[in-house]
Amino acid sequence: MNDAHVRPVERAIRALTRAFGNRVVTAPAVRAQHANTTTWLPNEPPDAVVYAQSTADVQAIVRICAAERVPVIAFGAGTSLEGHVNAPRGGICIDLKDLNRVLAVHAEDLDCVVEPGVTRKALNEYLRDQGVFFPIDPGADASIGGMTATRASGTNAVRYGTMKDNVLALKAVLANGEIIKTAQRARKSAAGYDLTRLFVGSEGTLGVITEITLRLAGIPEAIAAGTCAFPTVGAACDAAIMTIQSGIPVARIELLDALQVRASNAYSKLSLPEQPMLFLEFHGSSAGVAEQSAQFAEIAREFGGGAFEWAVAAEDRSRLWQARHDAYWAALGLRPGAKSLATDVCVPISRLAECVTATQRDVAECRLVAPIVGHVGDGNFHLSLLIDMNDSDEIARADGLLERLVKRAIAMEGTCTGEHGVGQGKMKYLAAEHGAPALAAMEAIKRALDPQGIMNPGKIVPQDG
Amino acid sequence: MTDILKPRDHKDVETAVQAARAGARSLEIIGRGTKRTLGRPAQYDLTLDMSALAGVTLYEPQELVLTAMAGTPRADIEALVAANKQELAFEPMDYGALLGWPESRGTVGGMLAANLSGPRRIKAGAARDHFLGVTAVSGHAETFKSGGRVVKNVTGYDLCKLLAGSWGTLAAMTEVTIKVMPRAETEGTALIVGLDDAAAVKAMATAMGSPLDVSAAAHLPPVVTARASTALPARSAVTALRIEGVEPSVVHRMRSLRAMLKPYGVMAALGNKDSRALWRAVRDVEPFAARGPAGERHVWRISTAPTEGAALSRHIARHADAEIFLDWAGGLVWVALAPDALAGAALVRRAIVTSGGHAALVRAPAAARAAIAGVLSQDTALAELSLRVKESFDPAGILGPGRMWAGM
Repeated sequence: MNDAHVRPVERAIRALTRAFGNRVVTAPAVRAQHANTTTWLPNEPPDAVVYAQSTADVQAIVRICAAERVPVIAFGAGTSLEGHVNAPRGGICIDLKDLNRVLAVHAEDLDCVVEPGVTRKALNEYLRDQGVFFPIDPGADASIGGMTATRASGTNAVRYGTMKDNVLALKAVLANGEIIKTAQRARKSAAGYDLTRLFVGSEGTLGVITEITLRLAGIPEAIAAGTCAFPTVGAACDAAIMTIQSGIPVARIELLDALQVRASNAYSKLSLPEQPMLFLEFHGSSAGVAEQSAQFAEIAREFGGGAFEWAVAAEDRSRLWQARHDAYWAALGLRPGAKSLATDVCVPISRLAECVTATQRDVAECRLVAPIVGHVGDGNFHLSLLIDMNDSDEIARADGLLERLVKRAIAMEGTCTGEHGVGQGKMKYLAAEHGAPALAAMEAIKRALDPQGIMNPGKIVPQDG
Repeated sequence: MTDILKPRDHKDVETAVQAARAGARSLEIIGRGTKRTLGRPAQYDLTLDMSALAGVTLYEPQELVLTAMAGTPRADIEALVAANKQELAFEPMDYGALLGWPESRGTVGGMLAANLSGPRRIKAGAARDHFLGVTAVSGHAETFKSGGRVVKNVTGYDLCKLLAGSWGTLAAMTEVTIKVMPRAETEGTALIVGLDDAAAVKAMATAMGSPLDVSAAAHLPPVVTARASTALPARSAVTALRIEGVEPSVVHRMRSLRAMLKPYGVMAALGNKDSRALWRAVRDVEPFAARGPAGERHVWRISTAPTEGAALSRHIARHADAEIFLDWAGGLVWVALAPDALAGAALVRRAIVTSGGHAALVRAPAAARAAIAGVLSQDTALAELSLRVKESFDPAGILGPGRMWAGM
């Protein structure tokens, strides 16, 4: 057969099969599974999935794709929420789950080097006996590569920051197949632009990340966690703001609205009062933790909060935070059969209560079901819209609500996403948030690093062709 | 003769860049020029003096954010937030003492363009990590805004992070938003007396890995101790560890820290006032001040993995007349070398090749700084990538050409 009549992607698949044999999979179920994330966006599968086992594999795959101008989509654990791993133009999905080695742990320097397929829980399991841990904890057991690519965060962000604060260096395969390492293990790269942070949050559009150096934290001597009920969402937010402003080094401070508390009670077998609730955790020395929680209790009282209910035993504490991490699944339990449209926005903390309250009102007026959870220390909150996908009117109402939520956040000088990322779902809001010139600057960077536009096309920045 | 342009607003900056672009003239962007003698010396056709773009445009203490024009004096901002019991948590150093300028002269734009930090970097990060939003004019002479006022934002490429530490080579920042933090009520510093570098690095690693929230860790050998603070035991090496917070918590944690570090040797402590003075001296590298006993020496700033700090210092000290002290638990090595630029550069390069890390010559005559350019070149793939980033912001190459790298 004359190769000229074959589609480029077919030629790429042939070349990949010659190089990787049965590690190239074109079965429809596998392809669909690699585009299927926890999202309501339609599934857009790649043409083939290749299971990489090394940086050299990734380089070879990218080179073959580059030669045929075929899209390359990196895949970690598939837990993204905005269609980040969909393949709207087809192409080759690189599954990185087999790049799952912890390459080095330098406990004294508080850092480690991992491959992208290591999941956050697997990493912490590995670190367990070494006196250190990795604090970033998005709800899902995401891969470190995916968390880096989406600049993920979690409930610990107030004290430990997000991925942008905890990735020290990375290795990536660029669109032309070149391998770069952005920095040494030093805390600071002296000369040059911060390429590490350019890749953190680039959602696979600039290159495929194949190795990550992470900052670790020492395991606290004492941890105190607990819950505190408030009469209103506003009161809970105000207590949270005051806590942050007072400089209390709280590790976690999480809001659940009354509906989410009901959902979590049912799903996670808790027995919390169905009221707006803060989940908190303090890390430090025993004395420090006791003092922080006493300071918080005083603030909570000031804002009409109830007593601080301690979760002292380690298993009670894990149950509490597992319940928080399972909020997505708990919410689905409120309406069996529904799909969840999980979205997030972030606003200046002084506007948080106002934004949450207005959103709750909007949800009620639209006759929708949507529990709210929030990382209130950062002004960031999540809404899980539970949608009957067979009801077009309901989908339309959800769409309208989502758009108003984003506009509300941007009008309050916030952002259309504080955690989940842009992916496909939020591209349409970027111009409103950043303005055309900033978007043009991002497009220029994209063109400079990926002139053929093959790296995860159709995400973050619009591209022609 | 370099022409000086002094814009008064965003529009003036756009016009200036536009004109430079049209005339293919190179543009140096300065705040008050306090860091001009840092890094590579270069010649420019025009100087864009941003000092008239001054003033805090928004400060909401409750919100922990501040927006200011890029030319606003840093000292003004620090005074303003201090009045609200807040601070810049990244503890930006002041190069005044080291470079022989009057202190507290820099601007907020310069602070970000140089990505300044201080001893608290190991806990709180650098200027870049507190840089939330920016308005800037790119080399296309186009004004763009990026980021905003919230601490979490995952909407695309983080342009603030690129501009931080870009030394005016990507865009002219006109207005910036930074995060501010509550200032600790009090602080104390635990001291271990008489450790060698290797033992000090071990002690500092122990402290940093502990749950006691140590916010700074430095090791000063005997030759620099007295220059850093008269409150320190003179003629002894001192390893210093800072604890900050509310009074009772500082008391508790100081006690625990001293108990934990007891096996390392003789302990002493500094109270709030002496502690603050010591860390300011460490921050500003006062032991190597231009008007001090090390004033003639060439000063290098080397960053490495903390546990490599001792080996790296030993390597340098064995082969040269060097005064050295360690900050960031060993991850930042300040080196003052007897002035012989080329020999110094070769030695420093050997040391970072062995230990891993990055080095910058921060104080030396222009001729010496020019002579070592290229000795510490970065890896070619990274240089190529950086060049592509540079070109996407400034295709004509008019913004600070040669400031960071030769030919770029």
